[in-house]
Amino acid sequence: MHTNEHTAQIEKFIIPIGPQHPALKEPGHFEFTVDGEIVTHASVRLGYAHRGIEKGVESRNWTQNLYLLERVCGICSHVHATAYCLGVEKLAGVEAPPRAQAIRELVAELERIHSHYLWLGVTAHEAGFDTLFMYTWRDRETVMDILEAISGNRVHYSANILGGVKFDLGEKEAQTIRQGLSFLEERTHHYLEVVSQDALFLQRTRGIGVMTLAQAETIGVIGPTARASGLARDVRLDDPYAAYDRFPVPIILDDRGDLSARVVVRLKELLASIETIRHILDDLPPGELTVRVPRKIKPGEAISRVEAPRGELFYFIKSNGSEMPERIHIRTPTLCNMASVLTLAVGHHLADMPMLLAGIDPCFSCNDRGIVVQYGGDDHDHWTWERLRQFGIDHYKQLESGVF
Amino acid sequence: MITLPPIPLTSTEENPLNVTVSALELLPTVTRLHEQRWGYLVAITGIDEGAAANQITILYHFAHGATLLNLRLTIPRDNPIVPSLCSIIPAASFYERELREMFGVTITNTPNTDYLFLPDNWPTDIYPLRKDFQPEGVGA
Amino acid sequence: MTQLIHLLFFPGGLFLLALGMGYEWLDRKLLARLQNRQGPRWFQPLADTVKLLSKEEIIPQGANPWLFIFLPVVALAGTLTAALYVPLFGLPPAHSLPGDLILTIYLLSLLTLGTGLAGANTPNRFSLVGATRTLTQLFAYEAPFLMALLGPAIVAGSWQISIINDFAGRNWLIVTQFVGFLVAVIGLMGKLELPPFDAPEAETEIVSGALTEYSGRGYALFRLAKNVELVVGLTLVASFYLGGLANPLAFILKTGALLLIIVGVQTLLTRLRLDQTVGLWWRYGALLVLAQWLMIVLAKII
Repeated sequence: MHTNEHTAQIEKFIIPIGPQHPALKEPGHFEFTVDGEIVTHASVRLGYAHRGIEKGVESRNWTQNLYLLERVCGICSHVHATAYCLGVEKLAGVEAPPRAQAIRELVAELERIHSHYLWLGVTAHEAGFDTLFMYTWRDRETVMDILEAISGNRVHYSANILGGVKFDLGEKEAQTIRQGLSFLEERTHHYLEVVSQDALFLQRTRGIGVMTLAQAETIGVIGPTARASGLARDVRLDDPYAAYDRFPVPIILDDRGDLSARVVVRLKELLASIETIRHILDDLPPGELTVRVPRKIKPGEAISRVEAPRGELFYFIKSNGSEMPERIHIRTPTLCNMASVLTLAVGHHLADMPMLLAGIDPCFSCNDRGIVVQYGGDDHDHWTWERLRQFGIDHYKQLESGVF
Repeated sequence: MITLPPIPLTSTEENPLNVTVSALELLPTVTRLHEQRWGYLVAITGIDEGAAANQITILYHFAHGATLLNLRLTIPRDNPIVPSLCSIIPAASFYERELREMFGVTITNTPNTDYLFLPDNWPTDIYPLRKDFQPEGVGA
Repeated sequence: MTQLIHLLFFPGGLFLLALGMGYEWLDRKLLARLQNRQGPRWFQPLADTVKLLSKEEIIPQGANPWLFIFLPVVALAGTLTAALYVPLFGLPPAHSLPGDLILTIYLLSLLTLGTGLAGANTPNRFSLVGATRTLTQLFAYEAPFLMALLGPAIVAGSWQISIINDFAGRNWLIVTQFVGFLVAVIGLMGKLELPPFDAPEAETEIVSGALTEYSGRGYALFRLAKNVELVVGLTLVASFYLGGLANPLAFILKTGALLLIIVGVQTLLTRLRLDQTVGLWWRYGALLVLAQWLMIVLAKII
């Protein structure tokens, strides 16, 4: 028995992907056991982007946390802030004015466009179709420019504050957005044509990583990954938040469940988002942008769910009546979808792994929040926050004085 | 025979619904939810109530459309043991791994007990999301 | 003396290396422009080579150091030698002997073999998978590529490159043997592991394939060998199918046009999985060339 196990151990040929690997734009570690080119087992190890955010929020006040939580993710920063704000507002018993809610939805949909475009480029790159990658990222600049024009920032728009939003939209901004959107709409139609007609791209996506509706339910996938398998789960419709009851988005479903379906669903969601943004711009409710939110939040618990570009984002917020939260738990969509990669990997070619992984649109940065890794401090492997900060200051002083 | 707590599966008056269960009742309750195809497991949240209260609260969040259901489970902090949901909902594995490493909750019959987020050389008796863990250099 | 000059400076040796870098730059620049990027400046390939040559060469543990050092040398030597038998720059080949077509094709395969062995020599897992893929792909395209080049040889009635080149100068074989031309161009891309046949070095799966462990000098030599192979391969295909290469102008125009086609294919297509590459070659490439071959032979007999 023992020798059998031993030989089985030797015969295993494991391909490690990550934490540093060209296929991953963020650190994660996957181990694919292969038999020739066929994957027979897959496992994952996360935590390389852990920054201790869930612990960190417990020692910051409600307003500070808004900025910290927006930095959970560099792509879907707005949805994190929205989820947090909605939760805290629920606890405080206030509601942001309709105009603020509409702007929240508008920025969220712009962010979805930017995220899905980014994702399309990454997927194309994983497939070895670099031309599509370059073109999608060029077009993505349009939505980045829009976001910069309305918020002043490309990534962390910082649109939300507790009780409302920070900026208003005038006619000039609306014009900028409309112009950008009509360009993006045209491009999206073009890409939809490319991904559903290009024979070689289809060869790499059609019938790859098929997840049936039943499988999707068992694995518990969410977001576009679930909708590509025909699982109708979308918080924007199931539990409308912000202004989604006033400006609803259509649900995009596909029943094929393969990689190709995941691409098509996301591209169609782009068109839906563009349409929704136009509705909001046409019919932006007038009024105030903010309401007052007290410094101390009443004790209680609140759950806030929003639909991030990658799927349902879940916030659990508990207040003990002080200036700081008692506990905030974040469940990001990538964690739910990650299991699907491990399940679907088995039986596929090694060459399909990067695409399968990209197919769920993983965001390790979102995934890993939690923990401060500097434990101890005197060990030279572990850097304390102070030491890291001092190092950064010294480094930039050196740079400034021209000494290297 | 374990008596199941009543779950008003259709009521939407109170959202989220809070149902307190004991560690023994947890699995039968989840089984019943699963059999009736009521919603899906959204997340598992752990809350450390502090050394004085000597309690850890674990919330199992289920969602069915707009209706949320929290199964609340309170366990002693010095001997935290809960059964695993993985036999019913395999997707719970990641959440349970997170709960295990962050709060030091022992989860019986969970299929994978490797660290998910923490580094492999993390000391085994330190649980970062417990209230008595104070990371250095962080604080208001 | 002249032989030494042929070998070291012109048309072999330094001139060939410079030409190879020039073509590499052209390939990269055109690809970049078609992909909406800026692309490298003209001296980038030279700068890359100089930098790689000046870097420390790290020999991984568990690899045979002799093989590790000499395989790139063999690969470069093979492609450089192959260049002596082709009408480089539109000039008559420096060496010519009956049957040198077969010799050239074998010499060109040394690069692929060297790459495969280099990958298998290192204990890195990416290298091992890359080596397996490189060699599998070799078996896929080599036979169709060979057959595609033998088509012109049969009509010309010789295995000597210079004679075929002269014959092709009088007959544009791309017209009569279009399938052969296609297979030869695509075979060349497979040989050079250019997209969409870059599964052996697919960066998103196995980093850099068989050459993952190579860093300094060895990697520079492999790159140079690949550049030279690009030039030699383009010369061969152009001289056989595009009306022969009789002068430098014809050389530049015809190989340039061929390179443009290759870049276009690289831009437009998604990377093929290895099983798809092999399937493509044996299911379509090999069969089509074989059919054309039979037709040529029949036409010759009748």
